[in-house]
Parts: sequence; structure tokens; C-alpha cells
Amino acid sequence: MTGKPGAATGGLYLHILVLAIVIACELIGIQRLSIGLGTVIFLPILYAFALGILLNPAIFKASAKFLSKDAVKLSGAMITVAIMPFIAKFGTTVGPQISKIIEAGPALVLQEIGNLGTILIAFPVAVFLLKMGREAVGATYSIDREPNLALIADKYGLNSPEGAGAMGVYATGTLIGTFVFAIMPPLVHGLGIFDVRALAMSCGVGSGSMLAACTGGLVAVVPDQKDIILALAAASNILTYATGLYVGMFVALPLTEWLYNKARPSERATA
Amino acid sequence: MANHTTTANLADDLPLNAEDERKIDVIRHAGLLLIACAIGLVANWVGTGTSPLVALPGMAVLYVACIIGLGFARFVPFYLPSVAWVSLIAILITIPGVPGAAWVSEQVEHLNFLALATPALAYGGLALTASEFAIARRSGWKIVIVAICVMIGTYMGSVVVADLFLRLGQ
Repeated sequence: MTGKPGAATGGLYLHILVLAIVIACELIGIQRLSIGLGTVIFLPILYAFALGILLNPAIFKASAKFLSKDAVKLSGAMITVAIMPFIAKFGTTVGPQISKIIEAGPALVLQEIGNLGTILIAFPVAVFLLKMGREAVGATYSIDREPNLALIADKYGLNSPEGAGAMGVYATGTLIGTFVFAIMPPLVHGLGIFDVRALAMSCGVGSGSMLAACTGGLVAVVPDQKDIILALAAASNILTYATGLYVGMFVALPLTEWLYNKARPSERATA
Repeated sequence: MANHTTTANLADDLPLNAEDERKIDVIRHAGLLLIACAIGLVANWVGTGTSPLVALPGMAVLYVACIIGLGFARFVPFYLPSVAWVSLIAILITIPGVPGAAWVSEQVEHLNFLALATPALAYGGLALTASEFAIARRSGWKIVIVAICVMIGTYMGSVVVADLFLRLGQ
């Protein structure tokens, strides 16, 4: 497809390998582990990602024979392509539930502001507990998915401390985000404090894999609410796609900057 | 200083051009999407036992929704990511009262949402580059702790606000 015969074969091996991984992971299926607080849910998407990493040419040298650099690059392009049918399926769950979505409208819109909770929790940990420098600004102002990373790159450059912080959280989130978002929501549900609709509409954080993990975990523990969980998560994810960058640009980043300058007034004087 | 230079080099292959969808080749994507949908049908088959033939009409609808979404992201004069367009189209064609909505809902019901995400995660694991592993390793344990706090904070912040307003609305 890229015009070079070698690349085309590499691409073929890539798709066959993905097919094999997918079959293996779906055969294992959803697994549950009951612990005191609630249930830890293991989803096929977790195994697929873990197997993908294990067979990644950068980790498993034998893979490099089959997967060229071009094939790895194609794999990157395939993520955004392969997530599309999932996003479309997710959208189709909203239409039939549209009246319930509108009913939950104010909560759905306002929970976008709740995403600023990252500053509330992560900023003090980074600045006061871990004594991080300006890396903390890039690291804690948002969940640092692609648009947020682009904003930091644009404003500070990626070879700045802020850029290093944002890239660190981005890379870590890419590696463990699916696991965190599969395990956390069922445990929070186990506390028995929050409305399952609130847990569902918070799943939309602007990352397809985190969305899948979060809703997958919730549906596994509350299967009879599946339709409304999917619909609310889908609706909130669309809202995050639409508003995330602007909330980051006009609210979260200025707020984090201001907090940092308050927390470390001496640095400001010397800068 | 040397450290900073390498970080910048490492950043070269991060997906920062992700929003530059104005230049996407819709025809090439249509082909890649066909592969993704085929693997998705197999995932759904193995995961739920639903035969690909039964699930095919639903997948065909999703395929068309994705292609139209890609086309919109490419040609509409203001920017909205293709995933947002795809979502909006999928919502529109399932709102009760829209012609064919009931049929679409019935067909996509044969597809398990989670099985459709499995192929993307497999590609995701294989697509990680040496530099992404290097950034994660270089950032060290502090960043791992901060990243986990960021994820918990983003999620729990939304949960608390959403729960509060759901209660107020009752």
C-alpha cells in the first residue's frame, strides 16, 4: 500500500500478527478477580496491548525479522483507523438513549470541569511530595493525551522541562492507562457511594483505549445497566474531544502555571 | 544540555501531528479500514460467538459511518477530529424517528463494543517505538506516580462533579 513491495509484505505480516493476537485474547475473554474492596476486571483489550508490547520489535528482537520499521509505522497509523469502528459502535448506543442523555445533560456538561481534578490531586503530589520542578506544570495540567501534548509542544517546546513532564505522563499513560482505567472504575463502584451514571460519564477522557477499558470494566460489574453506561460514556467522550483542548488552553494550563508560581515564588524571581 | 537534545530527538516520532487530518488520504484509509473491520468481525466472532455473516450488515453500517466521518474531517472547512464526526454520524442514524434508525440499532447490536476495541490495542502495543519506551524509562518513577495521580484525579474529579449534579437534578 505504500508502493514498496517490501513494505507491503511487512504490512501483511503485521495484520496477520494482530489477527492472531486478537483471536488469542478473545478466547481468554473477560476474567474477574474478587478482592476485598470489589472486583478487579481483566479485559481482552489489556491482554491484546500486553501481547502487542511483548511482541514489539523494540522489545522482542525476533519480531524485527518480520516487522520492519515501516510495519511499526503502519501499526501506528492502524491504531487510529482500527479504533474508528469502535467509536462508531459507541455512537450508535447514544441515539436510542437520547432522552436519558438529555435528562442527565447538566451533569454531563459540568463533569468536563471535573477533569481539572487532575490538578487538585496530581499537582500537590508532584510539587510538594516529589519536589518536582517545572516538569510538574506539563505533567499535571491535564491527562496529556495527544491534543494536550500538542498544546505543551506549541507553548513551551518539547525540549523544555514542561515538555519533558508532559511527554513522561503521555508515555506512561500510553503504557499503563488502559490498565488503570480498567481496574479503577469497578473498584470505585464497589465503594457504593456514586451513581453508576456518574461513573459512566466520567469515562470519556479523550482516549479511545481508556474509554474502552473504563466502560468495559463498568459493564462487567453492572451488566444490567449496559445501554445507559455505553451511551453516557460515548456522549462524554465526544464532549471531551470537542472541549478538551480549549479547557486545557484557557483554564487548566493558566491555572497550573499560576499555582506553580504561588508554590515556588523564588523560582519566578530568578527566572 | 545534551540530555535535552536527545529528548527533542525522541519526540520526533510522537503523534503530535495527530490533529493534522486535513492531509489524510481518504482512499488509503478506506482500504486500511476494511482490514480493521475484517479483524473486528473475527474478534466479535471469537469473543461472542456471533457469526461474521450475522454481524456483517452492522459492520457495513459502521464502515460507511467511518468513511463519511473521515471525509468530513478532510473537507469541512472548520476543524473537528474525524472520531468526533464519526460519533456524530453514528448518533444521528440511531435517534428514534430518523428513517432506518431501528434497523441500524438492531444490526449493530450483533457487535460487541469491547471486541471492536481489541484490534486497536494490539496495533497499539506493536506500534510503540523504542523512543516511547526510552521516554518512559528516562522519566523515572516520579513520573509514574504523577501519571497515576493524573488519571485518578481526572476520573474522580468528573465522578464527584457528575454525581453531585445528578443528585441535584433529582
